[in-house]
Parts: sequence; C-alpha cells; structure tokens
Amino acid sequence: MDNQPWKKSPSPWKYGRSALLAVVIIAAYIYSFRVTELDLPRLVTDFPKAVPILQDFLTPDVLARGEQTESYVINYPVPCGSGQEAEIPDSGPRIVPSVPCSDPKTTITVEGFDLRPDTKVQLRWLLPDGRRLRSARATTDGNGHFNVEVEIRPIVAAKEGNISQLEAELQWESTGLMPSEALKITFAKIVETVFMALMATTFACLVAFPVGFLGARNIMGTGPVGTVVYYIARTIFNLMRSIEALVMAVMFAIWLGFGPFAGVMAMTVVTVASLSKLFSEAIESIDPGPMEAIVAAGGNRLQAIVYAVFPQVIPPFIAFAIYHWDINVRISTIIGFVGGGGIGLQLQTWINQLAYNKAGTAVWAIVIVVTILDNLSSQIRKRLV
Amino acid sequence: MLEIKNLTKVYDDGTVALDNVSFTVQDGEFLVIIGLSGSGKSTLLRCINRLIEPTSGQIILDGVDITAASPAELRRIRRDIGMIFQHFNLVKRSTVMRNVLAGRLGYVNPWLSLLGIFPKEDKERAWKALELVGIAEKAYNRADALSGGQQQRVGIARALMQEPKLLLADEPVSALDPATSHSVLKYIELINRERGVTVMCSLHFLSLARTYATRIIALKDGKMMFDGLPEEIDDQRFKEIYGEEAVRVEVN
Ligand SMILES: Nc1ncnc2c1ncn2[C@@H]1O[C@H](COP(=O)(O)OP(=O)(O)OP(=O)(O)O)[C@@H](O)[C@H]1O
Ligand SMILES: [Mg+2]
Repeated sequence: MDNQPWKKSPSPWKYGRSALLAVVIIAAYIYSFRVTELDLPRLVTDFPKAVPILQDFLTPDVLARGEQTESYVINYPVPCGSGQEAEIPDSGPRIVPSVPCSDPKTTITVEGFDLRPDTKVQLRWLLPDGRRLRSARATTDGNGHFNVEVEIRPIVAAKEGNISQLEAELQWESTGLMPSEALKITFAKIVETVFMALMATTFACLVAFPVGFLGARNIMGTGPVGTVVYYIARTIFNLMRSIEALVMAVMFAIWLGFGPFAGVMAMTVVTVASLSKLFSEAIESIDPGPMEAIVAAGGNRLQAIVYAVFPQVIPPFIAFAIYHWDINVRISTIIGFVGGGGIGLQLQTWINQLAYNKAGTAVWAIVIVVTILDNLSSQIRKRLV
Repeated sequence: MLEIKNLTKVYDDGTVALDNVSFTVQDGEFLVIIGLSGSGKSTLLRCINRLIEPTSGQIILDGVDITAASPAELRRIRRDIGMIFQHFNLVKRSTVMRNVLAGRLGYVNPWLSLLGIFPKEDKERAWKALELVGIAEKAYNRADALSGGQQQRVGIARALMQEPKLLLADEPVSALDPATSHSVLKYIELINRERGVTVMCSLHFLSLARTYATRIIALKDGKMMFDGLPEEIDDQRFKEIYGEEAVRVEVN
C-alpha cells in the first residue's frame, strides 16, 4: 500500500514530525553559535592586530646583502716567553703588533698593511680555552692601512702552555643580493619535508600493497579462512584510520624523540591505514571477467591475481600513492609542530621567536611546494587513468 | 564425449536455474543452446567447467567425473575446456599477446609465469593462434584498442592456447553487430571443423543457431525443452521455446 506515497496526501503526523525536526535543528545551531563564541564583527574590529604579522608574512625574509669577511690571525704570547711568537711577513696583507709579545695590563699598537681599503676591522682575542673576546675596532684607510691601540687584559694570558691568538676580521657587505639565511634553512627543510613524505609514502605502499589484497572480498573469497582474514584486515584499517596523524606524531615523538624519523613513522602508519583501504576498494572494483577467464583456463589463484588483477589495479595504486605523497607533504608541515621534524618544526621555532618574516618564508615555501606537487600529482594521475 | 546427468543448480536465493538436465554431447558436435534470457544457458555452460558449482548431478568428460574432481584435478581438467565469454573477459590494459598467453597458464611453470616468462613454443603457439583468427598484426596493441569483433577473436585465440577438447562459448556474439557476429562464429566453426574441437555455444538468435549448429538444445526455466536438429524447430516448437508472443527475428 505504501508503494505510491506521492499520490496520497501526507498525514498531519508527518507534518508534525517535520516541524519538530526543524525546531531541533534550529536549536542546535543557536546553541553551537553560542558555545563556539562566534563574534563575526571582531573579524573586522580586531583586524589591525593582525596587520603587522600579516605584513611580516607578506614580506618574507628571502634575500639579504651578503656579508663577507676575511680574517688574519697571529700568535701573541702574554706574558713574553710563554709561547711561540708570530712570524710577520714583510709584504702582502698582514697585521703587525708593535711588540711581538707583552705582559698583561699594558697597551700595544696593532697595525694592518695592504688590507682591503675602507673596510671595518674587528679585533678579537682567541683565548686558549676556545672562547672569543672582542677587542678594538678600526677602519682601514684608502691604502688598506689601519692602526689601533689594543689593551692587553689579564684574561688573554697563556694557560697551561697554550697562548692566545689575535685575530683581525675585515667585514664588508658584498654588492649582490644573496639568499638570506632563513631562505637557505627553509630550502633545506622543505627538501627534508618532501623526502620525509616520500619515505613515508614508500614504506606505506610496501605495507599497503599486500595488505590491500587481504582486505579485498573478491580476492579472499567466501571460504572460512578468507572471510576471517578479510574481517580482521578491515577492522585494523578502520581502527588505524580513526587515529589522527597529529596524535600519531605525538606518540612517535615520545617514542623516538623529536625529529624527522618520528614524523616519517607517524605518516607511514597513517598512510598505510588510508592506502590499504583505497587499495582494497580498487581491487574490489575490478572487472572480474579476466580473472574468471584465467581460472577457467586452469590457472591458479596467484596467476589470476598477477595476470588479471595487477594490470587493473597498478594504475590506480600509483595514482593513490602519488596523491598520498602530496597529502603527506601537507601533513608533515603540521606534524612538524608536534615534533615531527621538517619545515613544520622550523616554522614553529620561528613563530616562537616572533620571527614572522622568517616564518613567512617557510609558509610561502610550503604554499609553493604543495601547489607544485598538487599539480604534478594530478597531471600524473590524469595520464594514468 | 561429454555426458551431463541429472544436472541441477539451485542458487543460494532458491532460484532453480537448472532442473534435472541430462544429455550427451558427441565429439565434434557444434551444439547450440538456445532459450530466453534467464532460462539457464549461462548456468549450464559454467557448471561444465565448475565456474559455478552444480547442486547435484554429474558431468563426465571422457570418462572423468568433473563434479567429483579435487581442486588440483579440476585445474587439469579445465585446461581441456576452453571458454569464450560474452564480454570477452580480456585484460584491457594488457597487450593482445599477453592476453593470449594467459590461456596457457594452466600448462606452464606457475612460478616462471608469475615473472611473465613463457617457453618459446608457447610464444610460437600464440602467434599461430593469432594468425588463425587474423589479428597477428595487433599482437602488441593494448587489448582495449581493438574493436569488439577483434577482441572476441583474441578471446578465441586465448582459448586455442589450451588446445582444448571442448570449447564453451557463452553468447560469444551478443555484444557484436550481425556482420561481426558471423565473422566470429565462422572462426569458431573453423576450429570445430578443422581441429575437431567439440563446441557448446549459447546463442540468442535462432537464425544464427540454425546456420552453425549441428544440434540444438533449448532450455526454458532450467528444463530441457528440445534436443534435436536445427531443421526440426518449426513454428510450433519456436513458440514453445520462446513463448506465444515471440516473433522471429532474423539475423543474416
Ligand atoms: N548468482 C546467482 N544467484 C542467484 N540467481 C542467479 C544467479 N545467476 C543467475 N541466477 C538466476 O538463474 C537463472 C538462470 O540464469 P542464467 O544466467 O543461467 O540465464 P541465461 O539463460 O544465461 O540468461 P541470459 O540469456 O540473460 O544470459 C535466472 O533466473 C537468474 O536470475
Ligand atoms: Mg547468460
């Protein structure tokens, strides 16, 4: 009697039910609006707070005037006789102390000859224990000559037969723009991230490929063993899939310590879960005809899988794998925040240091790399299917 | 010689697809099975190589009871029974050659075959089979680059690789146009006549059945309705098989 409901007028009970449902839905939305403290006007009124940070993000730290240095080091025994004195050449760029050695609490003159003209010079003591002690500053003249007084403080005295050295470092800005330090770090880290994602995806494929077959109904058949294996495989996929990458990363970071290894392991587990299910579904959706043909010709199960199933599932498998590589690059930026290494960890460090220009560099790098990979993977997938 | 004795198939849902069917096929016959859709033609053919497990009854090929065979024996028996499918059942992404070689999988070393290694004789056999069905020049094309008729000829070549005694063909031409249907059936006829391979083939059109069959069996609701020569099917018989309202459709 219920096979043509559209021809009957709906009962009042049905109207009542719809109305009740509407009330419940509206109530749910009102409540959720309040608990989430939505205050949309603040998006506008509080915007000025975001402006400086946004500006920093929009002007990432990419280029810098490269700083170049050149340094000259001589031995300088304090007090005299505590060690080998410097041999000063007669020509070429050189620094020359007024006396080859001296006692503490005296003052000497240090001269430089034939150095880079019009350049800042920083004098420094390299102490016996490896520490560095700043001393006088000077600037070379047009002929590359400087002359400066240097105080011999007790701390530069030789210790246990090791003497201090005197260093003169010339510093100047190079003319061309060079990639900034932040850009170099970002580059190294984004490469690390891409390869972390690659490793995780590769490991995951190696596991998911065989496991995918165990979770495919049409491969496992309807026998008791096949059915049990199938259900166990499916249950494991679903359990694993319910754990977020972020949680997994925290667990591995505790286990293996912060760094790319923990990140790779976390992503591997998450990817295995997702890929196994996708692989199983790809296997289940194949055309069974070719398998049937091989079985009918007297082939065994393994032959049927290799000859009839592999050719049908390899292209979708590759497509899924590339897609997950892409996803993993994204995920690895996030799990870096909780100790997974890669660009994410670096980004977090810079944000904590309030170095938003540098953070901007990292963010831009992520955007660019993800976009490129995204395009690349969709191109490859298009070609495969 | 193939003997079918009291063959019955009841599907899990209770459908009786074959109801106590018995008949004998002599070597070299071209037996065509006709009947309406759902009459049990596919079920019958698939019971013979046990792609479908019969519920009861016996199938005896040259004295060997197929229904009692163990899995290993069954694989050996299946090598002697080629099968051609309505939808060709080719691996579309694989080459024609690889599809044809797959017909030999029951014979070759299973481990080597997994690596794609086949003996030289089998490759020669594949070339001969492809030449016989006239598509040797397509050997290295992908199977899905071929027309329907050509794909079915690949299906025939694959079955030939088994050097079968018996060839089962389940509606081999119902996905093809009439002219192509004839060209495909002619190859099956050739194999039947020249190689003495017994053929069991289900067909939808009586006119096709008449042209190629040496004997016709008709099924209706899983029961044998008719067993005899093509010319014995007159209007009366036709109506019994296809129902009162059926009109003869000719395929030339
Ligand atoms: N796997 C199955 N489970 C349950 N019933 C089935 C199954 N396969 C076939 N049947 C039923 O068995 C009967 C015979 O089917 P079968 O496919 O053998 O007929 P057919 O003569 O080949 O038909 P067609 O000409 O459409 O191919 C039909 O009623 C069909 O619905
Ligand atoms: Mg059928």
